[in-house]
Amino acid sequence: MHVSIKCFATLSRFTPPEAEAFAIAPGETAGGLAQRLGIPMAELKLIFINGAHVEPDAPLADGDRVGLFPAVGGG
Amino acid sequence: MPLSLTLNEGIRALARVDTRPDGCQCQVLPYFAVLDLARGLGRNQGHSKAQPHSKAMASVELSALELGIIPERYQRNSTAYSFAEQIRLLQSRVAMVGLGGLGGHVLEILARTGVGHICAADGDEFQPSNLNRQLLCTRRSLSGYKAAAAAARVQLVNPAVDFEPVAAYLDEELMERFLKGANLAVDALGGLKDRPALLRQAARAGIPLVTAAVAGQAGYVATVLPGAIGPSDIFGADSETAENTLGTPAPAVVMAAALMSAEVLNILCGREPRLTGAMLVFDLEGMSFERVSL
Repeated sequence: MHVSIKCFATLSRFTPPEAEAFAIAPGETAGGLAQRLGIPMAELKLIFINGAHVEPDAPLADGDRVGLFPAVGGG
Repeated sequence: MPLSLTLNEGIRALARVDTRPDGCQCQVLPYFAVLDLARGLGRNQGHSKAQPHSKAMASVELSALELGIIPERYQRNSTAYSFAEQIRLLQSRVAMVGLGGLGGHVLEILARTGVGHICAADGDEFQPSNLNRQLLCTRRSLSGYKAAAAAARVQLVNPAVDFEPVAAYLDEELMERFLKGANLAVDALGGLKDRPALLRQAARAGIPLVTAAVAGQAGYVATVLPGAIGPSDIFGADSETAENTLGTPAPAVVMAAALMSAEVLNILCGREPRLTGAMLVFDLEGMSFERVSL
């Protein structure tokens, strides 16, 4: 199973080389994936899968598009 | 003879028929005719100033639109905004908090498009680090109040706009008073600290809030209707924010401001908000846009 990953803003430094097709384990959650990428949970404020906001315990499925977003407040 | 008849007759007499680049014909009230008619209106109302009063200009523009004649300065708004929508814009009131990167560009677009009443608050003064992105920050306005530069800019760009600058930081109590009578609130704040309060007060006032933020090449824009969840509920008020590391370069700021303005204008026109319960997330480094439902 593979997902695509998009890490925004300061999280882009955690983007894995194979972000377009990143292998996931069966039953892996979005939060688990973020941890595996080394993203500190305090920096991760918004997770979305296929354009919908989810909680870290949301399970991943093959082909999901995962977005990871930090706190952003500039104006 | 009643004044309105005289004004309408004046508008009809000074209107011209223009052919658009696509061949369609429309009646246009030339720019200088608006000024002349507004001066005449002002004289009738006892104003003696050579500069037409903003209220008089707005009256002329509204009367022209009601006659199906487009004031020349709004000619290229057509057909994005119909006559009825242009009238709604001129009769709308927007309350903006923040006149920095986002606020300056949003103000510019709303004033040029013809939003009739805008009040905007910012207690900050310009500093050199604002020059990279803030429209209102120039060598001349450095060290001055952002609200003062905004007032001068609106006067220069579209004096028909009734603009109310507030050179103060608003606490939650002041926000509540500031939003009274507005049709819509714009969150053009920097940082996260004051955003939850503005979201609460917009909800209390029963008006939509259009909000945005950027960091580096990334950002988002969202519309929050009263009672709904907004980005500031997700990000909180005291998180470490990405722009502290990545800065706020002009393309992302101007992009966010343009998206905010388009949504503000949609809502003021009476259309369905397009970003209700959603964030439009963008990344200009990868040139990607994604709509995220909250």
